[in-house]
Amino acid sequence: MSFIEVSHTADVKIRARAPTLETLFSDACDALMLVMYGSSRKGTIKKEITITSADIDSLLLDFLSEVLFVSEVEGMVFSKADVKIDGLNLHAELKGEPFTRKRHAKGTEVKGISYSGLSIRHDANGFMVDILFDV
Amino acid sequence: MLQGIKRIDTHEWEVPVGFVAGMRVPARFFLSELLGESLEPGAIQQLANVATMPGIIKNSLAMPDIHWGYGFPIGGVAAFDLTEGVISPGGVGFDINCGVRLLTTPLVKKDITGRHDLIETLFHGVPTGVGAKSALRVTGQELDTMMVKGARWAVEAGFGEQNDLVRCEEGGFMKEANPKEVSAKAKQRGIPQGGTLGSGNHFLELQVVSEIYDQTAANAFGLTKDQVCCMIHCGSRGLGHQVCTDHLKVLEGATRRYQIKLPDRQLACAPISSPEGRAYFGAMAASANYAWANRQLITHTTRQILKKMFSIDDKEMPLVYDVAHNVAKIEEHLVDGRKVKVCVHRKGATRSFGPHTADIPDKLSSVGQPVIIPGSMGTPSFVLRGTSKAMERTFGSTCHGAGRVMSRTQAKKKFSGKEVMAVLARQGIFVKAPNEAAIADEAPDVYKSSQEVVRVVHEVGLSLLVARLQPLGGIKG
Repeated sequence: MSFIEVSHTADVKIRARAPTLETLFSDACDALMLVMYGSSRKGTIKKEITITSADIDSLLLDFLSEVLFVSEVEGMVFSKADVKIDGLNLHAELKGEPFTRKRHAKGTEVKGISYSGLSIRHDANGFMVDILFDV
Repeated sequence: MLQGIKRIDTHEWEVPVGFVAGMRVPARFFLSELLGESLEPGAIQQLANVATMPGIIKNSLAMPDIHWGYGFPIGGVAAFDLTEGVISPGGVGFDINCGVRLLTTPLVKKDITGRHDLIETLFHGVPTGVGAKSALRVTGQELDTMMVKGARWAVEAGFGEQNDLVRCEEGGFMKEANPKEVSAKAKQRGIPQGGTLGSGNHFLELQVVSEIYDQTAANAFGLTKDQVCCMIHCGSRGLGHQVCTDHLKVLEGATRRYQIKLPDRQLACAPISSPEGRAYFGAMAASANYAWANRQLITHTTRQILKKMFSIDDKEMPLVYDVAHNVAKIEEHLVDGRKVKVCVHRKGATRSFGPHTADIPDKLSSVGQPVIIPGSMGTPSFVLRGTSKAMERTFGSTCHGAGRVMSRTQAKKKFSGKEVMAVLARQGIFVKAPNEAAIADEAPDVYKSSQEVVRVVHEVGLSLLVARLQPLGGIKG
């Protein structure tokens, strides 16, 4: 898990760094779940997500938006995402558990993921991205 | 103030064309020097970015609660020509029709002092926070009707009265709503959330009228000193959030197809008259209606609780007004001396229609539209009235609240929920939330002074003070 929360006045901004693109996506998903539900999350149930996007930044945004959607409508809290990316196609196997108020009400709702400033960068140290969650 | 900004008047500043490449008009914002001390350069950058958008009329504007958002700044207002101009979800926000309403009651402060049981009952009666689901079960068909009829759906279903629609912006529904443009995903999110409060800065607060500044307007609005009121602040929930996400994606592509050059991807837009533009507007209006229905349902729940605990009647708890502060509207305004229909985007800004403007209730016509400005836990809220000055200067707009100065990260480091609650309790304010972080996030010190923000809009004349409301307690998500 490799992300930090960066200062942003109104919303929540996350800076994620990872050695590979796929772990970057996985860490971003973890960050989203942490903001929404806190850190107590188990992985007893599996869920798959498959998406395609126009570019790699949109792929990340679309992936996180889909995780947000599935999490809300299926009442699922995810602890881990195993992400595979092939070009602009993504397949993820998520592990999670049903939402329970007792353990998962420590976070805040995320209204959406913003395009603003979302740009995946790649250098000798790996991959990095800043993501803004509208809370 | 920041470099490159020109002072126009005591509280008015201009960001000239050229501050950012491609600006079509200057940007103007309203701010005191005191508030200017916490002005982020990023917010001015965003304000200038909006000025690059096609068809923008006169100025890109921001109110004194301006702060750094995404795409448009929070506190941003921009009007676009219907033929040449664009519509942009970034100019509305994810929480379409996040807004606020105020009810009065026949109770006075001493009636609810120490009544923590009231706050507890409200907390358990109004689904609040992450994962909260409504007790109401609506079918897909009923959801479509909610999206068309808005608050009117709720009133017709027995969750309010006719006056609730009279005292609501747009009569509680926008007629341009088109549920067909709302995705199945958005509807899935909307079905279980009718009547839920949400989280973040959403709240339901009991307040007392502590000062009347304008007796005539206060009489017209039904406000009296020492009266207990209830303020409800929330939006379109997951339905609206999903509509924004869905249409942002479409409009991203549209921006490229229509060859619109933008300095920020979050300003994705399309010509208002285009199929994509019309689709977003129809979906946005449908979401706005859902939000009005939502606030009406919460109003009903609140009235039932107060009714039971204090033996008062629904009719003794009338609505003062309901305003949206994240929305795009087609409105008629004077532009270069001519009455023109324009598309006004308000992103964290409130409509402030002056006396004798259409769409304000007849009984309030001589006074102007009520403007409800929430403070935060522990700081005052305000009621103001709209003015003709706002019609001339800001397309009938004013501020929406206090605006943050501190991030949630900083707030959580600096404050503990327990400490904040203890400080509020010493002031006689009792707050209930699902977790302590929700309280720390929203500690009074993280916001600009609501008093200072409304002082600026009052002095500029965008809206005029009517009453101050002090918090007594409430619930938040």
